[in-house]
Amino acid sequence: MVSASVTQLVEFAIDGITQGLVLALLGLGITIVFGLGGVLNLSIGVFSAIAVVIAIELLGITSSLPLSVVLAVVAVTGLGLVVDKSLLSFVYRSEGEERVLLGIFVTLGLATLLDGLLVIARPSSYSLSVGVPSTTVLGAQIRGSSIAIIAISLAVFAGLYYFFRRTYLGRAMRTVLQDETGAVLCGISPRKMRTLVFVLSASIAAVAGILYSFTQQVGAAEGFELTILALIVSIVGGVTSIVGAVAAGLVLGLIATFTSAYVGAYVAEIALFAAAIVALLLQPEQVA
Amino acid sequence: MIHALLTRVGGTDWETIRLPLVLGLLALVPPVVFREGATYVSRLIILAAIFATLAMALNIVFGHTDQLFLFVGALTGIGAYTTAISAEALGVSPWVTLFIGALLTGAIGSLVCYVAARLQFTVILIAILTLALQFAVIEFFVGARDITGGSTGLIFSGLGFESLQEGFGIHEHVILYYLVLALLGATFAFYEWLRNSTYGLAFDAIRQDEVAAESIGVDVVRYKVLAGFTSAFIIGLVGPLYAQLEGFVIPGLFEFQVIDVLVLIILIVGGMRTLLGPLVGAGLVIWIDEGLASTGEWRTVIFGALLIFLFLYFRQGVVPFADRILNDRFRTRERIATWRES
Repeated sequence: MVSASVTQLVEFAIDGITQGLVLALLGLGITIVFGLGGVLNLSIGVFSAIAVVIAIELLGITSSLPLSVVLAVVAVTGLGLVVDKSLLSFVYRSEGEERVLLGIFVTLGLATLLDGLLVIARPSSYSLSVGVPSTTVLGAQIRGSSIAIIAISLAVFAGLYYFFRRTYLGRAMRTVLQDETGAVLCGISPRKMRTLVFVLSASIAAVAGILYSFTQQVGAAEGFELTILALIVSIVGGVTSIVGAVAAGLVLGLIATFTSAYVGAYVAEIALFAAAIVALLLQPEQVA
Repeated sequence: MIHALLTRVGGTDWETIRLPLVLGLLALVPPVVFREGATYVSRLIILAAIFATLAMALNIVFGHTDQLFLFVGALTGIGAYTTAISAEALGVSPWVTLFIGALLTGAIGSLVCYVAARLQFTVILIAILTLALQFAVIEFFVGARDITGGSTGLIFSGLGFESLQEGFGIHEHVILYYLVLALLGATFAFYEWLRNSTYGLAFDAIRQDEVAAESIGVDVVRYKVLAGFTSAFIIGLVGPLYAQLEGFVIPGLFEFQVIDVLVLIILIVGGMRTLLGPLVGAGLVIWIDEGLASTGEWRTVIFGALLIFLFLYFRQGVVPFADRILNDRFRTRERIATWRES
């Protein structure tokens, strides 16, 4: 009896961590762009949804899941580049609070536009099946999708960690984050770094969307929902902190899973928003 | 020319007569435009008036005190649900519970503004805070089935005058239109008064420089809370009327993408901090949105593209834009004339 409930707890915890890692990736997409460019990208969830739809389409052609996923991520990364070079150039012309507001409005318009295009192309929602078999560890059953999600997201985080800590480009980006004037004096172009970081965020969003679709249906209808989830994670993590976003994703994933299991699904959703509100009230200076 | 003409004819200033004039013209809409059986058009016109009122409420709190409310939809919903549910539970008419709903939304608005002002939230922080509230409230509407009826919602039709409808054969849309117009007129007249009062002065001072305003004795927190209460109260009153138009209360009516996005566009397109901006914006945006209906599935795409374009190039709004053109062409001449006379 006791062992059964412990096993169940472990299973819930694994589910929570799985969900949390995906949430962390989503939040990271918002965090790095806001931290570096001051643009709150409200179209990020649509990027994720587009990645899933492209992956499904390609799967029908190539019939290889890894290849389709990689190509889908590349395609969405390209889309990110186009958006940055066109729309965001206008946004970066303004400064300070005006830029943040303009960023919110323009990305909201972009989300509407892309969402409309996605509905025309593929109106339904899809989920990808990973094809990894479930395993049982010490009596606790772990789903194949969980294994895949944990492995892939940990690999992405490791790659990002290496990129931001060890490579010149990653360090240059963090310099802009900390002190823009200082970065310019060191010969780093903030605009170039912003382009890079936006493209990076688009590919992270694509990966997050595809991982999300391992367990849930993703499509045009879910785009904005994913944006809001990403926003919450980012806020709870302190908006400009990369480590914060990852930690927040994990905590929120666990909160959501356990509330959903013991209280109810809609209470879990509200708990996520409540966590965001509490985080805002406790540490407003970090977000601003 | 319009300015000059009106000044000569009425002997009064355009500023003082424009609101009664516009409201008078709007009052003529039902006999001229509404047709028996053409409820589609009358519904759109009522919708435009509803959104104009919501945009004016946002204009007060966002335009004048820089507190960006992204939970207009949630407040509208809270107003509608509270009115419907408390009328049912207390066994009284929705005409009474209408004010319970509005007082509740007003209290929520005040609380949010109080907390935000105390913690010295920036525009962005309030925007994110209210956005989180918006989604939490919608989740509650969907999830708390015992109270709200979940996604099937509640049927709502308590805000009509059945005796008028049956006795004189007046269509329900005509009655509803005048109800909405009354609220719109009151809101706009209140706004006009507000702008010329000490409150308006205090709002301007706060918006331009909060620290400076505080240093000369303006109670920043108090004024921000007042603006929040006023706007949220108006939004709470609009909610039940909106529900009356649709005939039911369901969560889908109050979603962010349905209300907030549209209200923001209306306010920005019409022109922030103007009297007629919300009205012009509402008419224009609802008209464009309807015009795009013929493009079928491309409607959302074009609307999104239009949004981006408007935000990038037309941020100052239609009303200030028209006003500037009028000023450049006509006021300058007037000024020269008065200068010569003196």
